[in-house]
Amino acid sequence: MEELLIKKLSFTKKPIPLPAEYRPMYKIALIVMILKVCCRGESCNLLKLHLFSWALASEKNMKELHDYVTSNFKTDFSVWGIEPALNRALQLAVAENICDIVNGKNYKLTEKGNKFYEMIKADMELFEVEKTFLTFIGKSHITDSRITSMTQKWNLFYVEN
Amino acid sequence: MLKIRAIKLEVNTTSGLFGANYEFTNGLNIIRGDNSTGKSSLFQSILYGLGFEELLGGKNEKTMQSALKDQVEFPDGKFHSINQSFVYLEIENKEIVTIKRSITSDARKAQLVDVYSGALLTGSDETLPSRPMFVHDKGGASDDIYGFHVFLSEFLNWNLPEVVTTKGELSHLYLQQIAPAFIVEQKSGWSDFFATLPYYAMRNTESRVVEFLLDMDVFENEKRKQQLSSNKQQITNRWNGLFFQFNKLAEKSGGTLRGLEQNPSIINSFGSIYISMLKDEKEIAITDFNEQQKAELTQLEKQQTTTVGTNINKNEEVLKKLTDKLNQLSLNYEMLSPEVNYDKEKLKQYTKQLEAVQEDLRKNKGALKVKSLGHQLPAETASDSCPTCHQGIKDSLLPSEIKQTPMRIEDNVSFLVAQHKMIEVYIEGQEKIIREKEKKLVTYQNQLTEARQEIRDTKKELVQDERLPSVLEIEKRLNLKKKVEFFSKVIEDFAQLMEELKALSKELERLLSKEKDLPKDFFSVEDRKKLALLQENFIALLRKFNYQSKPFEAIRISNDNYLPVAQKMVGEQLFYNIKFDSSASDFIRCLWSYYTSIFKTSIAFQTNHPMLLIFDEPKQQDMAIGNFKSFLSELSQFKEQQVLVFASFENSDDSFKEATHGLKFSLNRIEEKLIKPIS
Repeated sequence: MEELLIKKLSFTKKPIPLPAEYRPMYKIALIVMILKVCCRGESCNLLKLHLFSWALASEKNMKELHDYVTSNFKTDFSVWGIEPALNRALQLAVAENICDIVNGKNYKLTEKGNKFYEMIKADMELFEVEKTFLTFIGKSHITDSRITSMTQKWNLFYVEN
Repeated sequence: MLKIRAIKLEVNTTSGLFGANYEFTNGLNIIRGDNSTGKSSLFQSILYGLGFEELLGGKNEKTMQSALKDQVEFPDGKFHSINQSFVYLEIENKEIVTIKRSITSDARKAQLVDVYSGALLTGSDETLPSRPMFVHDKGGASDDIYGFHVFLSEFLNWNLPEVVTTKGELSHLYLQQIAPAFIVEQKSGWSDFFATLPYYAMRNTESRVVEFLLDMDVFENEKRKQQLSSNKQQITNRWNGLFFQFNKLAEKSGGTLRGLEQNPSIINSFGSIYISMLKDEKEIAITDFNEQQKAELTQLEKQQTTTVGTNINKNEEVLKKLTDKLNQLSLNYEMLSPEVNYDKEKLKQYTKQLEAVQEDLRKNKGALKVKSLGHQLPAETASDSCPTCHQGIKDSLLPSEIKQTPMRIEDNVSFLVAQHKMIEVYIEGQEKIIREKEKKLVTYQNQLTEARQEIRDTKKELVQDERLPSVLEIEKRLNLKKKVEFFSKVIEDFAQLMEELKALSKELERLLSKEKDLPKDFFSVEDRKKLALLQENFIALLRKFNYQSKPFEAIRISNDNYLPVAQKMVGEQLFYNIKFDSSASDFIRCLWSYYTSIFKTSIAFQTNHPMLLIFDEPKQQDMAIGNFKSFLSELSQFKEQQVLVFASFENSDDSFKEATHGLKFSLNRIEEKLIKPIS
């Protein structure tokens, strides 16, 4: 084998591509839309935000949640993803005063958050798919108590296994 | 030129006949009337008589003021209802005609116009022959016999140019579109260049109007370019049709087309375009293929028809060879068939990837937009800085322990776009591979059937009476003959298509060189002279009218739309509409200068301009009377042409004297009211 005549090697770190879900403003925009369109009093708990954030991640997830709602909550659906990225985005959103923590556990949209929502809403092309989906779900289908009853299944699930 | 010789208004009221008569001369005509005497009504009547009332923002009688259609007020406070009213307009180019159009009339629609061949108002003959015509109705601008605007453009000796509409079709410029370049209306005309231009779904109408008025060659060049591009489209269509026919022929013959591209291109060696056939696993051109078949046929025809008996040994050998061939073919088929399935599976994966990238791209574009919205909100996160501690957050939600730098969203988007393109190329390639392999599969299948048939026939002959003539050989000969005939026909058709292709390639070559010959920008030497003079005149007039908002070195006439533009800063190559940096009164000076400089330039070059300017109350925005005087003195120099200025001179004799002192002009004074009783 020939000997390679390389005296020095250097590596440069190149920026990596990142899925849009990991962009702070993108996630904050989703949070704002979820709170405004799907939550009574523009406020909800962390698990519900996780549910919607998980659903909006892919068309498959959206369909699953969609079917769950249209089948009157009969389909087998109880587990969804919990991602640290959403928690980080929420921290940023609270720091930006886009949403507030009320009663120590619920997130509520502020006036600034509402302003941000109006800006997003004004652009018809922006988040077309997401807007349609969230509007379909609306405020009345997935309530906090629904979330609670769904999560209770987790306990049973654990116990049985 | 278009000269307005006289106007007459005829209003029948319940209290008798009312009306007005005015005559105009060459050179500057000042129509002076205090506010609300009916000065604008007179101006509007001229437009109405010419069928240009669209400049007032509508069509037909509804654009006219109530003093001409509902009730006349005379004297102040006393009203008379109108039964009928007409406008008469006497105009002159080389001959004189008089136009009559109704504003209010039970008997006549406003679209109807009578054209008298002669001077009905200033002449003595009241029995002139007339022709009925119509305006605005369908055909008003295109009907040769009855269209008033067709008549008017002929009267003006105007050959109206064709422009491209928003639909991409050609349509003639309308007279109403040219009029705003020499008639400026009071209410909205002073708000912008060509402010009252009616919209007719045409592109860049203002530029076309200027090009027409200055009779520029660029117009012809632009049209030629459009024609060439439409020719090119035709060639592309024909090429596509030919390409399809070639492929169909190749398919019919069981071969593949080689050497022809789907997009039109100049072909130099036509020999490299052929149908390739598969023979013994090798590709050969269809002509060679047929020659071989022909040779084989002559060979067979030379031989005596043999009997079955003499062929036994040979047949056994043939049978063995055929069986080998059959096995080889089946093997090939078996090998290729799963390959195709595998390729199809791969294609499916590519398609899935493409969808994923598309979705990702959509989300990233959303992220990009939201980020810029965040800037406006404002949110510090959008500027990649932590809202609490103000340290950088690298535009990422990954835990900070991960020491990776993500791409900027903009880069991320272009990265995805590149990926998208790459996958598209993969898919295209994969589809091509599948098509070719499937074609090969079909060939194998045909060959298999053929081989099986031959084996059956040979076997049949082996068990026949030995004294009979060999049917197999006869059949083989017949089959071969048929094949030779078929392929000869294909080759003939191919040659015919080839002729068409050669012609098309020649045409394309000619077209491309014509396209090369088109100048880079379309201005001729003459055009450049005209534009230079236009700019020179414009700036000289601005100076004269005391324009101050911008230094004169920073002002140009744009070569794109021929409107005045100004540099943001002297020395910078960024130009924009002069309106933005001009004060309100300075913008009025721009409008004065612009319309007048087009007029002046047209006079110098003897172009299509009607040699007529009509301004309604040009003294806008509290313009100083001294500047207005400069304007009038400029206008008074056009002795051979005609300029009509409607103005109130602040309702003051002093102002009038100051503005017109020492100037040569004809005065028409509207005393009291425009419409008065006629005894």
